Amino acid sequence: MVATSRHRTEPIAASHDAAVLHREAVWFARYLVDAVPSDALIERYVRADARVLQDAPTARDEAVLAFVHRHPWSVGLLDAGTAFMRGAPLLRKKLVVMMAVLEATPDHIAVTAPVEDAGMARLVWRLGRAGAKAAVKLVVGSALCALVVRR
Amino acid sequence: MSTDSVVDAIIVGSGPSAVNAAYPLVEAGLTVRMLDVGNRDSKYAGLIPDGQFSELRRTDPDQHRYFLGDELEGIGFGHTGAGAQLTPPRQYVCKDTERLQPIASESFFPLQSLAEGGLGGAWGAGSPPFSAADLAGFPIALEDLQPHYEVVADRIGVSGTRDDLMPFLGPTFALQPPVEVDSNGEGILRRYATQRGVLNKAGMFLGHPRIAMLSREHRGRLANRYWDMDFWSDAGKSVYRPKWTLDELKTFASFSIVSRRLVRSFEERDDGEVVVTAANVDGSGTELHRARSLVLAAGTLGSTRIVLRSMGHVDRRVPIVCNPHSYAALLNLNTLGQGVRDERHSMAQFCLVHAPDGHTRPFTVGHFYSYRSLLLFRLIRDTPLPVRESLTIMRHLSPSLGALILQHRDTPSPTKYCSLGAGEDAPLEIEYSLSASEQRRIDDVEAEITRGLRRLRCIKLKTMRPGHAASVHYAGTLPMSATDVELTTSRDGRLHRTKRVYVADGSVFPSLPSKGLTFTMMANADRIGCHVRSTLRA
Repeated sequence: MVATSRHRTEPIAASHDAAVLHREAVWFARYLVDAVPSDALIERYVRADARVLQDAPTARDEAVLAFVHRHPWSVGLLDAGTAFMRGAPLLRKKLVVMMAVLEATPDHIAVTAPVEDAGMARLVWRLGRAGAKAAVKLVVGSALCALVVRR
Repeated sequence: MSTDSVVDAIIVGSGPSAVNAAYPLVEAGLTVRMLDVGNRDSKYAGLIPDGQFSELRRTDPDQHRYFLGDELEGIGFGHTGAGAQLTPPRQYVCKDTERLQPIASESFFPLQSLAEGGLGGAWGAGSPPFSAADLAGFPIALEDLQPHYEVVADRIGVSGTRDDLMPFLGPTFALQPPVEVDSNGEGILRRYATQRGVLNKAGMFLGHPRIAMLSREHRGRLANRYWDMDFWSDAGKSVYRPKWTLDELKTFASFSIVSRRLVRSFEERDDGEVVVTAANVDGSGTELHRARSLVLAAGTLGSTRIVLRSMGHVDRRVPIVCNPHSYAALLNLNTLGQGVRDERHSMAQFCLVHAPDGHTRPFTVGHFYSYRSLLLFRLIRDTPLPVRESLTIMRHLSPSLGALILQHRDTPSPTKYCSLGAGEDAPLEIEYSLSASEQRRIDDVEAEITRGLRRLRCIKLKTMRPGHAASVHYAGTLPMSATDVELTTSRDGRLHRTKRVYVADGSVFPSLPSKGLTFTMMANADRIGCHVRSTLRA
């Protein structure tokens, strides 16, 4: 895979390579809002990544991102696995950047705008379901994260 | 404008104090020259369409330009201190300050402004007047300020009402009717109405805030349109910004403003003139401006720099005070899952006072803001859950989320001071720390407020203490003093050991009560302006 071979010569996390970031944008948007972002949003993510995320990544960040690039299905689990980590992991920062990009557009407003009249029963159900999903992901994600970082 | 002409008064700065100090002078026909850097927002103001926040989010494909910023400056990590709350269209207020007004500190990271209108270009518009208890230790009394509160309330347009908070906020007569409270705030106020007896007994009172935001058309400005865009734009000029007064001043023939000037120092001459040295920030030279009197209103830190430099006080320590500041993130169970009105304003929805010893003793004031007019990624960033699930949770909870912002009172102490080093561009060095007893008092007050909030069915999710200086309320460096002591000011704002130099901003407040100081600063600036007017006429 391109991402793997790149990892040997240049750390992926430090890369502001547009092609790598394009792929990230698509994976992250699919994970966050179940949709493929428009080219304009991908471009905005690429620009935001370069401007906002300028700190040097840690070895842990490198390992986590390299794994995500090899196995895009793992974004959600590793996001959960790093949620409690100190020092704001790079993967989480990238996801928050993508979240900001997805929020500031009408394209995905139906899945990013506040839900203002859910009613108590629906609210409790949805929060409970999200909480349960998060709990499962935290358990599995933490284990996966530990493995990825140790490798 | 020729710098050769001698004007009646030079005003340094263009913020809330400066324009209100200038007003009585200009109104009386005296010649006034304002010197200011005057940075402006040249990018965002024209980009933001008229319309409701939620509507713009649904329809405007260019919203990312103002919500996130052209340089994506609206997406930040790790910065929670002073200025973290500034949205991209408001960030111009602190432009150039790191370069032109350097600070050296390991504990105090203030927000300064070189913008037209100063920090007032981004303030929250909270306008609670000081009470008699708040003014304890000041050499002026509430009676001295009251007429100026009325004048300034009318000039800037303050809305509010006389409710349970009247003993703490005073009976300002020039009030506009209160602006409407949003569904979130309304739910809490309804609950308060049922719990009033118990809460009042415990020293907790709720009511409408005093806000410099119009509920009715006034002086060519429009009533708030409840578009919920007040953090982003100045639609209809409903929220007061000092530049509205500056626009009024510019219509007077006797008023002039010289922009792109950073005042460095002043000198009083024997011939009765004050000579002001100003640097052109776009060039390399300096120029001299002459006046019969000088009013410094460059913000507490700006004016302090000018005074210390002019009077040759290298490394001389002067006190500084700043309201310790905290945010409590609250979940309002009263409105959870219920429909909410889209029409709302973005500023404080209600004011909370914690006064277990009554209104004659020091008390604590907080303001509740709903989390509606900001994007959710800011909340998600700080939630220790997977981002996708955080999004689901925050989408459902955000209509009932809010922040109670508390400003605790502050008094001078040996651990709070600033000084200016040698050299033309020396930074202002600031040391600031709270004593253990001050921190304990803050903790105790916050614990009692949290108990009261539970009775209001508000759950505290998190307390954030964004660090010293984050309240952006700086004062006390050149305090008013009844005695003629160097580096203090008289009760009329005259810098002691000078004849014609006045200070009209927060520098002159000896201490800070638990309230935003801006409204009182403006009233006091008007009072000082009236005094300077009398001396010039005499």
